[in-house]
Amino acid sequence: MKKLIKSYIKNPMLFVFLIILIFFTPMAIYSPGENKIKGVVTAIGIDKANEEYEVSLLTFIPTANQSYKQKNTVVSGKGVSVTQAVYNAQLAMGRSVGLAHAKTTIVSEDILKDEDVSQVVDHISRISSLPENTVFISTNGKAKELLESTTTLETELGLKLEQLIGFNSLNLYSIDTSLEAFYRGYYSDTHSSIIGELNLADENTSQNEQNSSNSQQDSGGGQEQSGEGSASSSGGMAQQGQSKKAISNQGGAVVLKNGEMVAKLNSSQLNALNLINSKSINQIINIENVPLSGENRNLAYRVRNKRVLKSTKFENGYPVYAVQVSLGLQLSEVDGNHIDLHENTEMSKMTQDIRDKLNFKLKSDFTDALKVLVENKTDIIDITQEFFRNDRKKLKKFIEKIDNIDEFISYVNFKISIVAQPD
Amino acid sequence: MSYFNISKEIEDIKKTLNNCVDFSSRIFIREKQQIGMIFLKSMIDQQLLSNAIFMPLQTFDGKFDFDLLQSNIIKCADVKTIKKEEMILNILEGKVILITNFSRKILSIDLLKFPTRTPSEPPTSPVLQGPREGFVEDLQTNITLLRRRIKSEKLVMEVVRVGSQTQTKVCISYIKGIASQKVIEKVKDKLSKIKIDGVVDSYNILSFLEERPNSLFKQIGNQEKPDVVVAKMLEGKVALIVDNSPIILTIPFLFMEDLQNSNDYYTNHHYSSMVRIIRLLGLLLAIIAPGFYLSLQIYHYNILPLNFLVTIADTTQGLPFTPFLEILFIFLLFQILYEVSLRLPSYLGLATSVVGALILGDTGVKAGLISPPGVIIVALSKIALYTIPEQSAQITVLQLVFLFIGGSLGLVGLTSGAIYIINYLNTLDSFGTPYLAPYAPRISSDLKDGLIVKSIQRMNSRPKSFNPEKKERS
Amino acid sequence: MKQSINIRQVGILLIMTIFANKILLMPSLLFSEVKADGIFVVAVLFLLEILTLPVFIILKEHYPNESLYEILSKKIGIILTKIIYILLIVFFFLKVLLVFSVTYVYFKQQIYKDEMIWIALISFLPVINHAVISGIRPLSRTMEIFFAVVLVGFIACLSFSLFTRINIPYMFLSTPKSFFDSIYRHFFAFGDIFFLFLIMDRIEIKKGQSKTLYKYAIIGMILVLILYFLYYSKYQVTSFMHNNALADILVFSVQFNAIGRLDIIAMITIMMITLFQMEIFSYAFSDCFMKIFPKLNTVYSVIVFDIIFCLIYYVFIGKYEIMIKTTLEYFPFLAIIINIVLPIVFLIFALLKRRENEKTD
Repeated sequence: MKKLIKSYIKNPMLFVFLIILIFFTPMAIYSPGENKIKGVVTAIGIDKANEEYEVSLLTFIPTANQSYKQKNTVVSGKGVSVTQAVYNAQLAMGRSVGLAHAKTTIVSEDILKDEDVSQVVDHISRISSLPENTVFISTNGKAKELLESTTTLETELGLKLEQLIGFNSLNLYSIDTSLEAFYRGYYSDTHSSIIGELNLADENTSQNEQNSSNSQQDSGGGQEQSGEGSASSSGGMAQQGQSKKAISNQGGAVVLKNGEMVAKLNSSQLNALNLINSKSINQIINIENVPLSGENRNLAYRVRNKRVLKSTKFENGYPVYAVQVSLGLQLSEVDGNHIDLHENTEMSKMTQDIRDKLNFKLKSDFTDALKVLVENKTDIIDITQEFFRNDRKKLKKFIEKIDNIDEFISYVNFKISIVAQPD
Repeated sequence: MSYFNISKEIEDIKKTLNNCVDFSSRIFIREKQQIGMIFLKSMIDQQLLSNAIFMPLQTFDGKFDFDLLQSNIIKCADVKTIKKEEMILNILEGKVILITNFSRKILSIDLLKFPTRTPSEPPTSPVLQGPREGFVEDLQTNITLLRRRIKSEKLVMEVVRVGSQTQTKVCISYIKGIASQKVIEKVKDKLSKIKIDGVVDSYNILSFLEERPNSLFKQIGNQEKPDVVVAKMLEGKVALIVDNSPIILTIPFLFMEDLQNSNDYYTNHHYSSMVRIIRLLGLLLAIIAPGFYLSLQIYHYNILPLNFLVTIADTTQGLPFTPFLEILFIFLLFQILYEVSLRLPSYLGLATSVVGALILGDTGVKAGLISPPGVIIVALSKIALYTIPEQSAQITVLQLVFLFIGGSLGLVGLTSGAIYIINYLNTLDSFGTPYLAPYAPRISSDLKDGLIVKSIQRMNSRPKSFNPEKKERS
Repeated sequence: MKQSINIRQVGILLIMTIFANKILLMPSLLFSEVKADGIFVVAVLFLLEILTLPVFIILKEHYPNESLYEILSKKIGIILTKIIYILLIVFFFLKVLLVFSVTYVYFKQQIYKDEMIWIALISFLPVINHAVISGIRPLSRTMEIFFAVVLVGFIACLSFSLFTRINIPYMFLSTPKSFFDSIYRHFFAFGDIFFLFLIMDRIEIKKGQSKTLYKYAIIGMILVLILYFLYYSKYQVTSFMHNNALADILVFSVQFNAIGRLDIIAMITIMMITLFQMEIFSYAFSDCFMKIFPKLNTVYSVIVFDIIFCLIYYVFIGKYEIMIKTTLEYFPFLAIIINIVLPIVFLIFALLKRRENEKTD
């Protein structure tokens, strides 16, 4: 025994380590896997009803040897604060809420209209286990219904909700629609941010089609790419309830000022605004009535590459925002009578007429969309920041003169030149 | 003047050896001259005995003279005079002792013969290409195997006896002018201090040589192949050949040596580098994987990708065990199967694999006792263990330790544990050589035989870590 | 036998100390004070810190085999020396506390459920103690082994952050007053190079090798500055919300990643860096302790360290913010004494010695 003690004194740390292990091993033996004590939440929805918040959690609850369908359930709880609502939802679930895999936060439009949404999502953003790239979107209906409709959607198409939003974010908005991005806009000088929107539509005739085949839904993704036409990809319907709702993805977005909704942009407006966004190249441009081969035809062009040169300056004390956009376009469709396919090569050469039309269309679309922003004094395309970056002093002076940074965007004179070339 | 009283002498020896069965003696008498022969029948070549000793004695006519006997009459290569005290040991070693009644000197003739194995490929270190010889139990053969490869006058073979009962020969072998003198002195010193009654295998003296005998980690190398031992001796190491053991000890030892394999030097060095990196990864995987999986499951579910989490959640949902017990159970199952398959005769091997893999594994999963991810993780780590078979004992213990750490302390525990063990390894010094050299401390000239292997042409200097007397290989 | 370490190992120790306290909480603290000008605050502080290095090299040249304690006790007497060493004990102990508190925040937020955090402490202490007892040589060799892992992890965190959209942060938004205030307040997180003086008798520097020290110090500082830059670029105005710079910088903004959360790279890197820093500072603590009580065994210093550490941890349990605030508010002066005043004194010693040598020649 003496020897044993001596040997431990010689190497005390090994002894300490062993003791620790001895103390902790029972804990290891008893502790169940975290996935058994936590409900893995994959999406959060926040609604407001009668001055109370209702938080709905799309939760994955594993059940042995059953199909994926039964595992996704929507659990909701109500409370005067979001924290309390989450707590109540937790009670309903019988498990603690694990938000580490929550990739989507949905807020209903009602909340956005009435109050500063940053206060609503405050609780969520304070939860550090929540991934910082959580998607943040709004919906025109109830967030809970949206989540419920996704439970059936997901059974058929996997984790569709995330993919839907991800697709929108990459191809339509070309902006991040994450919580982080919202805060970035919220805390910027202009306090304006933009978040994506996923709408609910009443189930109508499309229900039958949708039930008949799944392939219909897959093609929905393809349709969305045509930015102009409002394509809708109908998701699954809600499992229960009188009014059947389905997801209808129109690729719109909501513009927020100080966390409150001020305007909505539809996908074509977004597309137009993205003209000056060099990251967004997945665009489609339609022009109508182009005289080609003796006929008036409608053409569809796809943007293959884009270069955007921006410059800011103050002319006569007024801000001028000059953008030079060079587009590499590929003709993707010709509409009209009697078209021979070998004519297409001929037509892909761009005539001056086509250039003019393209120029006109893009510019007018952009100005139209910009009007919405100017009216609402929201600068979601970061023009103020651009000026700030390039000429801090003059901007400061100018803002002192107009006395309101929000008004700045309405004073900016946009000069856009577009060079369209066949790619 | 009285010389040996031969019959009394024989009686005495017989008594000392407790009348053992194989004791034999014979007295050759011619006129007044008597020559006594004492030997153990079991140890000598009887054919040789009659040819080399009897026949010449009988055919010789004239008066025997001791010097004549030693130099002319006896037709045997190894004949030497010994002292009286050495007589018993010589008999026990299989020598024939000649005593005469006309001289005080004693003659010892080496006629040793016993059944030995021929050198064959050792089962633990097979090679694809390269020499296939392995050491055998016989010291002489082993020395021959080394000598054949190093034809240099600088090859030193010194014999020390260890073990009060077994009197086992331990041969200290090194190349003079290359091996560090300090190491040689230290080895000799340690060998002389060994107090043990018997040395059955080289492993018996191993722990006496280690600087930290209680340590889990191996501090002395063991090799079964003469080509490897020669390569190590050329690096400046000392080899210890223990009689009756096919395992040769090499000193000093680095952790890196177990990542090296003789195959590495007989194939393309780029490939060898890749294989070494894979071995290191295998080592890490073997040690960490079960503990890491546990810590993810118990404490850090948030790191797991959602799809993998779903899989784990699905498969572990109905299990009766907590994750820790489950992994421990699978671990023990594998370990038991492993022990069984080692001991079982090979014709029963099929039965064990059927019972082990099919019935226990597959049915265990189907019955909902264990989960497929758990089986995969443990199986993976158990397989990965054999990327370094030399260290399998150590790794298995570490696996279990890290299993406990991962289960009870999580990722922080695993990281701390890894750092603790590396720190501990750094405190080990094998005969003045840092255990984790050439990486800690980094010795850039030794890196050419590290994880990345350079071509043999560029290995033009000996590893500095062994402090060789001569640095260049020329 | 005196254990000595080579110049590469010293360099690695140096990088580890340079990372101390700066890679997790500090960027967001600095942002709330001076916005993105935090980079310049750090750069200025680094500049002050690196000035200690030439002083160290000159002192080492003139006193190649003597320890700091011997030099000091010869020059200014044993009592003053002991007072300085007591200051150093406090300094290094607070450093350990600060490192732990900052990591505590990270552990709490990212790794463990709240009630499990003390596990971290439990598994850290024996490792640190073991490292301290086994001495500077195994300690630095261990770091040498893990250095590659740490460096690769650190650089991986930095490079993964490049996958997201990055804008150059807006600089020069702070007032000079807040800028200098910030420099003063965060002085405590710096001044780690002083550690080298304590172990100067255990360092082997051959001729012409002192450049290596600068090399390592500059690599470490540049890495930290790049981290600051990328962090402010990535988070811009919301930088104040993200408390664990090295881990947060890694988060993708693109929605999907098949590998799941890559945090594990940051987690392991941070855990290792933290442990090594605590080992280094704890070693410094024990070294000072041994100089003050030369008759005691190293084990005693470790036990004293553990007891004080656990006591303070127990009293302030969960109140890591208090620890961080205290060091920021009340201890910059200590750092200034140790990081600026003492090196100047040492420089004077070295110059005096040089004059002596010249005279004897």
